[in-house]
Amino acid sequence: MNQAPGIASADQVVISGFDVTCGAGRDPQALLEAVLAGRPAFTPVTRFDVSGRRARAAATLPGSPVLFTEIADVIEAACADAQLTGPQRADCPLMLAVRVDYQLARMSAAERADWSGAGLARALAQRCGLSGALRTYTGACVAGSTAVADAACMVAAGRLPRVVVAAGYLVDPDHFALFDAGRALSDDGALRPFSAGRRGILFGDAIVAVVLESGTAARRRGVPAAARLAGWGRAGDAYHVCRPDPTGDGIARAIGSALRRAGIGPDELGYVNANGTGTAHADAAESNGLSRALGACSARIPVSSTKSVHGHALEASGLLELVVTVLALGCARLPVNAGFLGPDDECRLDLVLDAPRPAASPYMLSVNAAFGGANTALVIGAP
Amino acid sequence: MTAAVTGGPPLADPTVPGRAGVSVRAVARWPESEGDGRPPGIPGFVPSPFGPLAAAAAERCLRRHRDPDGTPARTAIVVVSVHGDLATSEAVAAAVDAGSRVQPMLFFQSVPNSIAGHIAARSRLTGPISCISPVGAPVEDGLAAAALLFADLDADEALVLVVEQGHPGGAADHALAILVGPPVANGHDPASPAPTTQEVPRHG
Repeated sequence: MNQAPGIASADQVVISGFDVTCGAGRDPQALLEAVLAGRPAFTPVTRFDVSGRRARAAATLPGSPVLFTEIADVIEAACADAQLTGPQRADCPLMLAVRVDYQLARMSAAERADWSGAGLARALAQRCGLSGALRTYTGACVAGSTAVADAACMVAAGRLPRVVVAAGYLVDPDHFALFDAGRALSDDGALRPFSAGRRGILFGDAIVAVVLESGTAARRRGVPAAARLAGWGRAGDAYHVCRPDPTGDGIARAIGSALRRAGIGPDELGYVNANGTGTAHADAAESNGLSRALGACSARIPVSSTKSVHGHALEASGLLELVVTVLALGCARLPVNAGFLGPDDECRLDLVLDAPRPAASPYMLSVNAAFGGANTALVIGAP
Repeated sequence: MTAAVTGGPPLADPTVPGRAGVSVRAVARWPESEGDGRPPGIPGFVPSPFGPLAAAAAERCLRRHRDPDGTPARTAIVVVSVHGDLATSEAVAAAVDAGSRVQPMLFFQSVPNSIAGHIAARSRLTGPISCISPVGAPVEDGLAAAALLFADLDADEALVLVVEQGHPGGAADHALAILVGPPVANGHDPASPAPTTQEVPRHG
């Protein structure tokens, strides 16, 4: 076993409760069924006008969901899942990953003064009986996973017995238009990670919350853990404003950090929930990063990107995909990489296609990457 | 020699407060004097000053610190901003509301990560990138985020960038850059109040 670095070796970090609602399922079980079936949730967007856009599809929740209410409900459910009492909640802070409200741009200066991501986090903490807002992450597609890593660091060090980490993104007209203008959205109605003929991302709504807790505290409470957060790592590409380093070096360093902290080698990994956005450059770079980090094992570790089913939830994607990976660990079956048309020589991975596979190892990896070359890796293990 | 802070608009948090878990290596702002004017432009970053402000303060800060032994460090970037890039958001919203085409260039600068990526690529900063909306005092939150990265051994130093624009009170847009490392045994005690920008030693 490798020596786990940093202060994280002080105590185990477990996931003692979670909940999720997204376009692919209103609850964890529905989401699990969708990702195991490889059943994409993309439908024509009706929430706002997309008639002038190249892309037309997203995986959205029905009706007109309100972000605050949706996040509050999911936090409530996650706390209930973790069997937190009122006093335990009152001693537990919130870390939140959200995108700056797209309506902020339409507010007056006075209205803006009253809005902030931190203000949203404080209001959510108050509504849910938590101790307060600890931090708000706005770092695009690694916001949720960065929040998890930072929360895990604090729990492992014994600074806090537990933290609620929540994230939310609802598909909105401004970012749809923005990504469409950048030709980042798929115009064929599918998100096809690592596939020949992939044409880009599609958005998906997602609201997620997890309770991260010290293993000692969870055992004292007699609460079973859904999974152990065994390792986490973060690294930067130092390459470009928005394009990933084609060598995948930053992703590889994030994975290496997470594996070292987990004290395992690549040969012990049984699954990778990849970032897999379905974009040409990013999927090729990630494939190189996985090869670089996992060595010869990369050819035989099953990989899928469940964005192909639930879509890209931007700031919430890291937390959503962590929960998908926890669900896969719980049922010992691996989600399908949907939308696959055929192999791409630049993405030589052992993709889970057509049907879920049985999990062969209790260690799984979730990888995320974002603009600016930000990369994160989270390793989960059986509790 | 000290970092010259001779003017410029007031920051919400005008000093660098003390905080356990980091040691301050250099501090810079843009603007620091009336002579600074608009920050140098960056290709692709239009029409918002958010990115250029962050980059100008970052470059100035990095110039003020030279690692004495030249050892390559994994330098993280922590971007702290209450509202993010407001000018870019406004440009996108205006286009959407008018039913017109959004300028593709805006896509590339649409998140605070983008300018962090530019700075990281330019100065070869290979540490993590984290962007936060402060819950408390912006500088304190940024330094706390950096301290976590040090404690986790994911970074050797961190460039904390506090960027704000569009203040209701009319204060000018501005950026503050603070280069910090882990606590040091000799020199400044990170547990005690850290120096103000006027007191931070300038290297190189």
